[in-house]
Amino acid sequence: MIGLFKYAMDIGEQMLISGAEVHRVEESVSRICYAFGAERVDVFIITSSMVVTVHTTDGEKYTETRRIINTTTNFEKIHKLNELSRKICQTKLTEEEIKEMLNEAINCKRFPVWAEVICYALIAGAFTLFFGGSVIETVVSLLVGAIVRISISLSDRVIGNKIFRKFFSAAVTTLLAFLAVKIGVIEKVDKIIIGNIMTLIPGIGLTNAIRDLFTGDSIAGLLRSIEAVLIALAIAAGYFLVAVLGGFAL
Amino acid sequence: MTKTEIIQILAGFGGTIGFAVLFNIRGRRLALAALGGLLSWFLYVVLGNFIENEVINYFLVSFAVSIYAEIMARVIKTPTTTFITTALIPLIPGGSLYYTMANAFSGNMESFLQKGIYTLELASALALGIIVSTTITQIFYKIISPNPYHYNDCSLSKR
Repeated sequence: MIGLFKYAMDIGEQMLISGAEVHRVEESVSRICYAFGAERVDVFIITSSMVVTVHTTDGEKYTETRRIINTTTNFEKIHKLNELSRKICQTKLTEEEIKEMLNEAINCKRFPVWAEVICYALIAGAFTLFFGGSVIETVVSLLVGAIVRISISLSDRVIGNKIFRKFFSAAVTTLLAFLAVKIGVIEKVDKIIIGNIMTLIPGIGLTNAIRDLFTGDSIAGLLRSIEAVLIALAIAAGYFLVAVLGGFAL
Repeated sequence: MTKTEIIQILAGFGGTIGFAVLFNIRGRRLALAALGGLLSWFLYVVLGNFIENEVINYFLVSFAVSIYAEIMARVIKTPTTTFITTALIPLIPGGSLYYTMANAFSGNMESFLQKGIYTLELASALALGIIVSTTITQIFYKIISPNPYHYNDCSLSKR
């Protein structure tokens, strides 16, 4: 039992890293622990940490803590982990099978960087068009989006902090948009920036934060809200800095 | 439906696909997630003909799309978030967030506050739509089956 308990922690940790909701992770971890034969399970999870205590039927207690630092949304991984936890609860899997499925989930395929470059371009272009941009503005936005993704790849090793990364990306976006105006390709920057901001914006974060607050995960909700506000401020700061230093008029 | 509205629906669809790939959604789930993005702005445009208040419209669209997400999640056995997060992407108030920022920059405090509060209202409407639909589906599944969670068949009776 105690040996298996580690897998419940691993599954929970990986779910949080992939951006699963706190509520869901709490539920999965406790169900898995009960499936392993625990008598009582106490789970406390927030977006950055998990604490689990299990009471076994022989009266032993076992507690483990995990600290979650970086999260990247990865629904493929969440899907696989979800399948694994469902299987653990429905059938008796052997330890080997659990280990194998867990490894498969952890090492699940991601799209290559060039595909992400295309996605950034697609998102930026689509939303410039969406918010009423012209065809030329859309094309400029596409290019800016691709360059922003490449600059993220290049700067990732140097900038470790998530907030500063957003600041940097916003600054690059603004600089490129104003340059396009300087060259004379477009007249106003707003549509280009709106389109590109969509890739940086904490819109999903803000919506999830409010959702967590309403459903009773107050601490997770507050953490997410503060993160969303900080990211929005970082984007605004990156934008202001370039606009002011470059002496660009809005 | 005007030409601008059709362009918006298709652009929102494209943006949703982009995000779905960034979030590493694959195969059948990718197609269903993208369809959700198409559906959400389509509904927004259609409902916009009858409802003038944009916040209420946001709430209704978010509610309807979340129901779509709950159903699809149960059909292909995957967490609901996969479809909710992606389907709501065209509704993310990116434009109003930008104008909030631009107003703060130009020192126009009144418009800044107005835009800022409006952005929060839209985000809250989205969140409420999701919560209401989740609650309703949970009640529905509790009534038709003793086990409310389709994805996980462990009994919680020991608790």
